[in-house]
Amino acid sequence: MLSGFKAIANGLKTTLLMLKEPRDTIQYPEKRREYSPRFRGKHMLAQDEDGHELCVGCGLCEAVCPAHAIRVVAAGAPGSRPVSWTERYAVDYEVDLIRCIFCGMCEEACPTNAVRLTPFNELAAYSRLDMVADKEELLAPPVRN
Amino acid sequence: MIQLSIDGREISVPEGTMVVDAAAKLGIEIPVYCYHQALGPLGACRICLVEIEKMPKLQTACTTAVREGMVVHTGGPAVEKGRQGILEFLLINHPLDCPVCDKGGECFLQDYSFWYGSGKNRFEESKIQRQKDYPVSDYILLDQERCVLCQRCIRFLGEYVGEEQLMLEGRGVHTVVSTVEGQPAHSPYAGNVIDLCPVGALLSEPYHFKARPWNIEREETVCSVCPVGCASLVTGRDGHPVRLEGRPQPDLDDYGFLCDHGRFTYDFVNHPARLEQAFLDGKPASASAAVAAVGERLARVVEKSGGGAVAVLTGAVHTVEEEWALAQFARESIGTSRLAVLKPVAGDLPLPLLGTYADLAAATGVLLLGADPYEAVPVMHLKLRAARRAHPVAVWGLGDRVLTRSTLPGEDFVAEPGQVAARLGVVLGGEALDGRWAELRRGLLETERLVVLWDGADPAAAALLAALAGQRGERPTAVLPTHGPRNWLGAVRAGISAEHAAAARILEDAAEGRLEALILLAADPLRDFPDGDLAARALERVPAVYFAGWFAPEPRHALSAMLPTAAWAEVTGTYANMEGRLQVAHGAAAAPGQARPVRSLVTALARAMGHPLRLPDFDPFQDQDGDRIARPAKQPAESAGAPARPALPPGEWRVLTGDMVAVSHPPSEIAERTREPLPLRLHPHDADELGLGAPGGLIEVAQGERRFVAGARRDARIPAGRVFIPRGLADVPANRLDHGAGVKIALADPVREEVAAP
Repeated sequence: MLSGFKAIANGLKTTLLMLKEPRDTIQYPEKRREYSPRFRGKHMLAQDEDGHELCVGCGLCEAVCPAHAIRVVAAGAPGSRPVSWTERYAVDYEVDLIRCIFCGMCEEACPTNAVRLTPFNELAAYSRLDMVADKEELLAPPVRN
Repeated sequence: MIQLSIDGREISVPEGTMVVDAAAKLGIEIPVYCYHQALGPLGACRICLVEIEKMPKLQTACTTAVREGMVVHTGGPAVEKGRQGILEFLLINHPLDCPVCDKGGECFLQDYSFWYGSGKNRFEESKIQRQKDYPVSDYILLDQERCVLCQRCIRFLGEYVGEEQLMLEGRGVHTVVSTVEGQPAHSPYAGNVIDLCPVGALLSEPYHFKARPWNIEREETVCSVCPVGCASLVTGRDGHPVRLEGRPQPDLDDYGFLCDHGRFTYDFVNHPARLEQAFLDGKPASASAAVAAVGERLARVVEKSGGGAVAVLTGAVHTVEEEWALAQFARESIGTSRLAVLKPVAGDLPLPLLGTYADLAAATGVLLLGADPYEAVPVMHLKLRAARRAHPVAVWGLGDRVLTRSTLPGEDFVAEPGQVAARLGVVLGGEALDGRWAELRRGLLETERLVVLWDGADPAAAALLAALAGQRGERPTAVLPTHGPRNWLGAVRAGISAEHAAAARILEDAAEGRLEALILLAADPLRDFPDGDLAARALERVPAVYFAGWFAPEPRHALSAMLPTAAWAEVTGTYANMEGRLQVAHGAAAAPGQARPVRSLVTALARAMGHPLRLPDFDPFQDQDGDRIARPAKQPAESAGAPARPALPPGEWRVLTGDMVAVSHPPSEIAERTREPLPLRLHPHDADELGLGAPGGLIEVAQGERRFVAGARRDARIPAGRVFIPRGLADVPANRLDHGAGVKIALADPVREEVAAP
């Protein structure tokens, strides 16, 4: 019986000692963890300093995507509106974030460094359709706060 | 035969074969840019370097003919170093803009760079900048920076087509491909340079930035525009066809060249005029409701008056399987034998005479009987030129206008309008012929292998062609019918009569009130039937006309129901071309709206009629005939003549008519750019007398009370005193004019005003 009490006291001691240790969990969403800058989260489409889209709609990301999550529709860039730095641009660019496995191959394949995976990982929505990120959404990458 | 060894493997090939072709026979690929079998050796790009033993340096495989005992090595360090060096030179001024280039992913410059290239370029100076996206024609964009100067495009248009519209300009590194005198390359074969260009220099404008090789469906198909039935590849993206390319068929010696009328009309399936919605009594209806109503009405007619009160006319543009399903429906469910193909011409080809493209390639004499292949079936013109390049071919044109042209020279024999067959009868009769005609007779009878391209316009010619074959005896005679509709031989295979008399009987029965319902499958009798007046009377008299197809004929108020059907590129099936060859075409697009395949449409109709239709398995290919439709055996026929027509009162013009694919192709927004705005043709003297300006203009064609206005241009190939009106022209329906009675021509008013203004 004594050995039983000893064991309980021993266990309690470990528990009480742990109260002083730094915590492994954090209070999400009040507190958020820092990720490595190389973390692969939601995609973004980059623009250059003049606001031109870097994406030329070549479709290599679409070709390399193992999950068929990307759809690119290219078109001739409108001459009057300076959206693209060259004569071709992506008129439509969609990433299905449910299909995406965040492997980062699109980023690797991109010849113009236009598609990048940001550290943003808070991907939740009420409908599946909301999980398809369109071009507008990708051009304005979300920032974690 | 010459024996040689390539990479240690022995092969024997005919003398004159190039090393590159001999290697291809062994399945060894030697990279080429400038070489193309159709165009012959040039040796411009130097990428095909190979090592040949006992020759001190690397040799170009495309310009080196095989020799007895030759030992060729297509690989090895020396060859790879040579190709690497050539690629480095080719890429010196190349912009390397693959991500924006349409060719990316299907480009030989990319492929060979990956296979043989070094991965880096030692050239550090700035690259020469040239024209980008320069429109060579309405359909073709030229990027001079990407060009490797292989000259395939120039040689194709200059040598193969005979229309020199592209050329090299400048010297040394400043050499570029450009158009001759800045004029657009308007040849109807210019689109082939898109397929021929091994790099991304010549691009299709309608396909520009549309898709990538990995996000498309690229299926084998058959061009749907004319009866030549060119083998092609259709590219589908997101359910729409976005491109048509030629598909070489090495076993048929076909290089896969198309004409632009075929290449750029694939978008007709998504044209705004396409029937995508079912209509019942002029009002939109759901397809199922329309089908149910049509089925019930047909059932009532059949119950009341028997199946014979219903007739079926097909425009023969659907697949053989669909035509067969229609025939089964007509016979089994309706119980009618009134079933025929609607042809735009009255002549019926004796099927035993049906020839092949191989006959044409081997022909020693070719008779163009009323047919102008350049305008009616453009790729046949190319095939004829290819035959002429291989060996001497005598070409005779016998028609009511000049049928040969500078790119297809030959002897022309111009008959009076409507007397082409009569003339042929006189020639075959052999009595009292003067010099030229006697020579034509001798040529026709004595040439070793004769091929006749017949437009089918004059029914009397059919018996004469059989007689000609009989008179020639053992020497082979083959006839290729150039008239539409594009799958009429497929409809014949499906058991539907393509005889003019069968369709005429149906329309006569209709006009005399013996029919209570007429079913049209993609048929437009008013536009296509040779006797347009009979068609008009028939359509007026029949109480109910049900149409199913892609484009509803005018006037639409005459149609009790319109049911949309799936079109070319939306169904997989077979088509038969003008040589009777069955070719499989796969679907690459989705049928729009309520359109559904004919097979499911007729089964639904049959169910609605209360006679469910059981369609047993049907295989259009018949074992004993391979991929050609069955043809009856040859029968000896007698010579026949045709009576001459009475002379015309002066001042009246006689109507000539013929097929012009630039007019008759289906409505297409892309091909609209090159749709002929001035389809009528007049002799220049007549045009001068009328006061028609050099660029052409609107003229009025009048016969009795009927007046039509359309654009006309001058054409020295039309004899004086005649006016050429292409078939199927909506503005001036040639089939509504009496060809024997002559017409009056005058300048239309707008032109007079234009002329008066300056």
